[in-house]
Amino acid sequence: MSFSCLRCVVRYDLVKVCSSSALVTKYLGSSRELSTSSNLRAVAQQNTKPDWNRAVSEAEKIVGYPTSFLSLRWVLSDEIANVALHLRKLVGSNHPLLKTAKNLIYNGKNNMQAWGLIVLLVSKAAGHSPEIPDMEQDKAAGVLHSQRALAEVTEMIRTSHLVHKGLVNMNARQVVPSESDDMLFGNKIALLSGDYLLANSCTELANLRNQELVELMSSAVRDLAEAEFLGDRDEQNNPLPSRPLPHDQREAATEWDCVLSPLPMAGVAGCARREWVARHVLAAGALLGKSCSAALKLAGHKPALQTQGYLFGCHLALAWQAFLDLEAFTGPEPDSFSLVGAPLAFTLEARPTLYSYIEAGKKSVRDVDYHELYKAVVEGNGIEQTKQLQREHINSAREVLDSFPYCDARTALTNIIVAMIP
Amino acid sequence: MCQFGPKVRRQTVFVKLKPPGPSPLRIFGKTCQRVTTCGPACGSAGSGAVAGAARRLASSLQSTSTGSLPDYGKQIVDPYRLLEDDLNGIYEDIRSELERNTNQPELNTIATYYFDGQGKALRPMVAILMARAVNYHVYGENSALLPSQRQVAMISEMIHSASLIHDDVIDQSDFRRGKPSVNVLWNHKKVAMAGDFILAVASMMIARLRSDEVTLVLSQVVTDLVQGEFMQLGSKETENERFAHYLTKTYRKTASLIANSVKAVALLSGADESTSELAFQYGRNLGLSFQLVDDLLDFVSSAQAMGKPTAADLRLGLATAPVLFACEKYPELNPMIMRRFQEAGDVEKAFELVHKSRGLEQTRFLARKHGLEAARLAHELADSPYQKGLIVTTDLVLNRIK
Repeated sequence: MSFSCLRCVVRYDLVKVCSSSALVTKYLGSSRELSTSSNLRAVAQQNTKPDWNRAVSEAEKIVGYPTSFLSLRWVLSDEIANVALHLRKLVGSNHPLLKTAKNLIYNGKNNMQAWGLIVLLVSKAAGHSPEIPDMEQDKAAGVLHSQRALAEVTEMIRTSHLVHKGLVNMNARQVVPSESDDMLFGNKIALLSGDYLLANSCTELANLRNQELVELMSSAVRDLAEAEFLGDRDEQNNPLPSRPLPHDQREAATEWDCVLSPLPMAGVAGCARREWVARHVLAAGALLGKSCSAALKLAGHKPALQTQGYLFGCHLALAWQAFLDLEAFTGPEPDSFSLVGAPLAFTLEARPTLYSYIEAGKKSVRDVDYHELYKAVVEGNGIEQTKQLQREHINSAREVLDSFPYCDARTALTNIIVAMIP
Repeated sequence: MCQFGPKVRRQTVFVKLKPPGPSPLRIFGKTCQRVTTCGPACGSAGSGAVAGAARRLASSLQSTSTGSLPDYGKQIVDPYRLLEDDLNGIYEDIRSELERNTNQPELNTIATYYFDGQGKALRPMVAILMARAVNYHVYGENSALLPSQRQVAMISEMIHSASLIHDDVIDQSDFRRGKPSVNVLWNHKKVAMAGDFILAVASMMIARLRSDEVTLVLSQVVTDLVQGEFMQLGSKETENERFAHYLTKTYRKTASLIANSVKAVALLSGADESTSELAFQYGRNLGLSFQLVDDLLDFVSSAQAMGKPTAADLRLGLATAPVLFACEKYPELNPMIMRRFQEAGDVEKAFELVHKSRGLEQTRFLARKHGLEAARLAHELADSPYQKGLIVTTDLVLNRIK
């Protein structure tokens, strides 16, 4: 009942959201908030890349059935029924939570589940130790039940973060009084829904009875929280790039050989490439990498292979991010694009005077002159450098894949990666 | 009382009940905060007012609790004194644990904001008290506090603070613990993330204890907290349902954290199942008693101290025990509960009806019932200063004012 309820709410609001998408953008700032946002399907469509959809749906067949994030258990819970009822009250308001909810339902098949899908494909590609009892295996899919639970946790953590990121900063902006109640209520529901998902992932993880795994996955939640504090922000917490520093003024960078400890920030700010990597490792790579690594741990693989899994997830997430960053510059000129995307970062590094355009967005990223920045990016070689960056991450991810035995899951992963190549 | 070994006795401080020194002040931290937040004039009054209020409240404790603790004659165990060494530096340790886990200065600032040592640290205190009482119960007088048990005490306070931080965003509160609340100082997205961060660090600490059971027990707390918060959004139609709903919500939002963290320390001690269940039930009853008194104070303490009502819960649209009891005599409260006291004059009217009814008395009675049950359970543990401390704590919780 609650599922149909939720669908109908969202379907109704679909119209509203579309018509008021400009208003939603007002609160979200740039609508192309990329790092963990869920616009892969949109991208795949715009990009006219049938390869992508095919690669994903082929891959889903390989692991049995779609990684069911919206599993019945989840949808039928009292709390979600409650959220659906409250969402109905929000219909007609401009709270970005509606947009997040819409994406969860409608883009669910192709994007939201993509991360869980990767975790399952990595699980299947690497196989598991023969000592694991039959009871614990999903024979048809070739993965362990625990790995399936982990894939669900990955999705829940990611969604929870996405929902919490969709809060509206009420004290930053003078909201029209009539809107402020809606916004307040929307924030309340967004916060609670995110907390609900986080609490559920805690329980799911605890049930796996593997404390090293709990520690690893908790550290990924920590990384996501850290990501929201890196660098400058406008009043809605939309990220802005740091001022590019000349080479001789840069801090010495520290090694990033950390997994459980937080990412060192020395030498990050002002160095285009390093800042981009740090930002997206925290916001995306850490969770995907740690999830892949955890899947291998569950299968009883050695620490060395677990590390490879971590690197694979990290590189894949970064290649994905670069792919999304490039999207803004392949079609017609968009109204706005990510200010922390790699093409712009490289352009700013080459032409530091452009930074004055960024400074105009200190209050709100909407105040930035996107047209001028777009021209600068297209004229310079930021796009070429981003393609290069993406190739590097793709190659690193493929290197790891090559160490897995040849099988259908490995092929599926390769296809997904190939579909991203510009 | 002289059978305790020399080591234990050194740490055991039996104090005569006397006008409060610095230590009892902490016990009344929460009460004071309510007093300071209710008036517009409190800004400059600052800590002087806090101390004064605490003294007033504490002297009211003095007058009643000497009577209510005949077993100890004129002597009473002050659990905070008893655990002084264990609790010392607990906030510093939490802060450095958080600091170790981030390289983002602003995140660190927000996350450590409520760990300034101004809270009363009730949850860590009860957790350590239970840890030592159970250790004594199982291993006798030479038992010590395990480092893992102290970690659980820290974790309980961290989970509590993470939920406070999210509550602040939800309730739009302006003040907490006598200072501006986090949502006033920083933007909501960052505050929400800081809450997630504290929870993540607490989960990492839980995982490092490397106990499957303890992780399961403590992850239940997080689920309960969220479900309790969801329950608070809705209200039930019939009176019977409503009271059950209220009690379940109270368990999930307050008692579960205390109950499960004392259960966790009992598990870490290696106690058998019946002992850890006893610990759990003690924590559950203590937590319920604590929250019932809290709901009571929302109607009483402010009226006493400031001469004007606050009724913060009513203003948030919440019907707590005093209102639900008052409903029996004044059914006109029912529609107000259903509309969450949204109409003009609802809050004042409900406040007045609660005071005219026996609602406060009945709430106190229920709180005492749970307090007595907790004390009865504590009596089943081996006799030790910590076991006495557990009993005294039930009294402290009950007699926070009056």
